Amino acid sequence: MCAIVDVNVSHEVFGSSRPEAGERFFKWLNSGEMRLVVGRRLLDELKNGRAQEWIRQAILAGAVRQETASTVDTREELLFQEERCRSNDTHVIALAQISGACLLYSNDKDLHADFKNRRLINEPRGKI
Amino acid sequence: MDEIRLKDYRCFRDDQTARLAPLTLLVGENSTGKTSFLAIVRALWDLAFSYRVPDFKEEPYDLGSFDEIAHYRGRRSGKVDAFFAEFSATTPSTRRLPKKLVSQKFSALFKKLGTTPYPVHKRFSSDDSWIEEYIEKNNAYIIKVKTARGIWEKNLDKHLKERSIIDEPMMPPLILFEMAQTSGENKEERLGFKPLDNSPAFGPDDYEVLRKFPWYDLSNIRVRPFASAPVRSKPHRTYDPSHTTRDPEGDYVPMYLAEAFSQRKKEWASLKEGLEWFGKKAGLFDEIFIRRRGQRDSEPFQIHFRKLGSKLKGPSRNLIDVGYGVSQVLPVITELLRPDAAPLFLLQQPELHLHPSAQAALGSLFCQIAGKERQIIVETHSDHLLDRVRMEVRDGVGTLNPEDVSILFFERDELDVQIHSLGIDREGNVLNAPDSYRRFFLEETTRSLSL
Repeated sequence: MCAIVDVNVSHEVFGSSRPEAGERFFKWLNSGEMRLVVGRRLLDELKNGRAQEWIRQAILAGAVRQETASTVDTREELLFQEERCRSNDTHVIALAQISGACLLYSNDKDLHADFKNRRLINEPRGKI
Repeated sequence: MDEIRLKDYRCFRDDQTARLAPLTLLVGENSTGKTSFLAIVRALWDLAFSYRVPDFKEEPYDLGSFDEIAHYRGRRSGKVDAFFAEFSATTPSTRRLPKKLVSQKFSALFKKLGTTPYPVHKRFSSDDSWIEEYIEKNNAYIIKVKTARGIWEKNLDKHLKERSIIDEPMMPPLILFEMAQTSGENKEERLGFKPLDNSPAFGPDDYEVLRKFPWYDLSNIRVRPFASAPVRSKPHRTYDPSHTTRDPEGDYVPMYLAEAFSQRKKEWASLKEGLEWFGKKAGLFDEIFIRRRGQRDSEPFQIHFRKLGSKLKGPSRNLIDVGYGVSQVLPVITELLRPDAAPLFLLQQPELHLHPSAQAALGSLFCQIAGKERQIIVETHSDHLLDRVRMEVRDGVGTLNPEDVSILFFERDELDVQIHSLGIDREGNVLNAPDSYRRFFLEETTRSLSL
């Protein structure tokens, strides 16, 4: 299964004092049961140094998948024109659609709504 | 070569296939069969292209006798009595229209003869036809052939004149068909192939298919793969003119460079340009030159390097006075850059003694050189080299496409080793990686970050 971490809460997954949900999410990632998907923009936006370092190493190990920037950008542009997203993180929805990721770690209510919107994420349905 | 298939060879028990690309990187822990893999590639090459029985003790791969090479299956089963190796390749045919690509396979089964492995069975395949030869225990020499119409066999008696073809320095069965061509009418009958498995009689169509069998043109002498040793020769302060024959340690390289410098100016200029390109990228040197200790070519010489400052030239340094990494990498890059370079490179840890930035530069050089004409197979423990290759492919630097790079991950499992064929995509993602791939590095990172 593929998953996406919202950069705004990356410290909850890769930080030193993590909530239980973040700790469980990281354990899934680290065990290889779940594969993290990142886009170039998402990776650039990651301010958390720990997250960057771990993800960099995981990309080398084939445990994190990086999607093509241009493909994600094109999809994001389309979503933007259609005005179907409530959140301003359209690139996260675009990334999920391109990669097939159906699990999201985020605290953004609007992004939650978009991720659960069947017209945006379906087969499989998005989970938060 | 596109693929290598192995069974019961060294630590490889299962029948497994490894994908080869213009640039193939062999990675994995120590003692997981990476060097054995390089050795079998050279052995297959020798057998298929030079038609010579491979010497498994030839440097830089001394694998020992048959008992050391055959797979050990455990206490009860002991050693296997044969091991199998095969390669496949897609190449332009030398016997058909130019540019037409032909898919070919060559396989060999090795058994113990005295103490060494001997190829008792060989098969050359192309599409739906093949030519097979094998030697049986009673010294019988048998040739089997297959076309789309059927399978036929011929047993060559040891007293027959035809048996002399075994000693020919090219693919023997082909000579058989060449010889038959001169016999005029009924040559198919004269060949004496007996039908097997309800096949029809060997006919003119089968004869034509096999006579034109698209195996490589063996009369075209090919340069043997260049196999470098894991440790290259020590640098010397002064070199005496000597031999220029290739050797795995690169003893010949100083003399080769000196000869090019004094006798082949164009070649030297091209080599110098390539060596200095790498020297700059790697931060090792900006200039390389030969300094003769006398007026004549027969007198001793030195290899010198120079770093250039922004305004001033640095002093020239002898090879022995610069970092050890320079003398260790010089034979590898020289061999890669020379105009008569081998079509296949088998390199063991070329990054030895190099700083990480120079290791990465070596990755860039491989990406520049590897291609359809020159295949490079590198055994490496360098993360920096591997990561540079990944980034060069991602960023489109050089001519390599993602499918032109193969990463073979050698994973130990008890007494056996599994080869995983990994790839790279356009975003630099590592494809088909098992969870165990780089698990150590990820665990170390996780631990260092206290995650």
